[in-house]
Amino acid sequence: MARPESLRVAHLDSFMAVYHRSSGITHLITAPAPEIMAVLGEAGLTFAALTERLAADYELGDTDAAALAARLDELVAAGLVSVA
Amino acid sequence: MSDDSEDSQPQGVTSRRALMLGAVGATAIVSIRPALAQTAASVVTCQIPVPDPGRAGNYIAADGSLVPARSPGSFAPAGTPFKGADVKTALAGGQLPGTTYEQSRAYTNYIRRLQSGTSGFTCFASLQMPRG
Repeated sequence: MARPESLRVAHLDSFMAVYHRSSGITHLITAPAPEIMAVLGEAGLTFAALTERLAADYELGDTDAAALAARLDELVAAGLVSVA
Repeated sequence: MSDDSEDSQPQGVTSRRALMLGAVGATAIVSIRPALAQTAASVVTCQIPVPDPGRAGNYIAADGSLVPARSPGSFAPAGTPFKGADVKTALAGGQLPGTTYEQSRAYTNYIRRLQSGTSGFTCFASLQMPRG
């Protein structure tokens, strides 16, 4: 995940606004993106470990690996998550 | 958020929150870019018409300028707008889908010359935003 000090976060009902200082871009993110970022944390996780942690922390309505990969791709494209 | 131990998510089995990962094609992020005062759903899905619909009758010269239709060495307008992801690839040295090498170069040169207020400019500007 992007360094916490590079992000400014505001909760807006069902949205979370994330201002990314590095890029100057504000992202409005909705579930499951905030949850994925929280679970990833600063240290990050492997895809398998992320899947496990999400399943442990949340009642997943779907456990589609392709959907999770798509959400991660979005976060990477936005610059909020990086691939190690 | 970065410190999930402080994220106050109940850890008890009975109080786990429901979470949908969503369909593959769904999107969970809308990015608002500074100075442009517009939102683009995603740099991957935003589109750039070549040329701008306001100048649809023109052809595109090799250097990206717009010239009268059927000018020698120019290319006909692209039939459909290009997706942000395709343009990003083209700007990095790749080729736009459904085009010849020379045609792709002319279209990419046109896109590089886009000005504020021209259709597709916001998408192009989004592609230029630094990441990190």
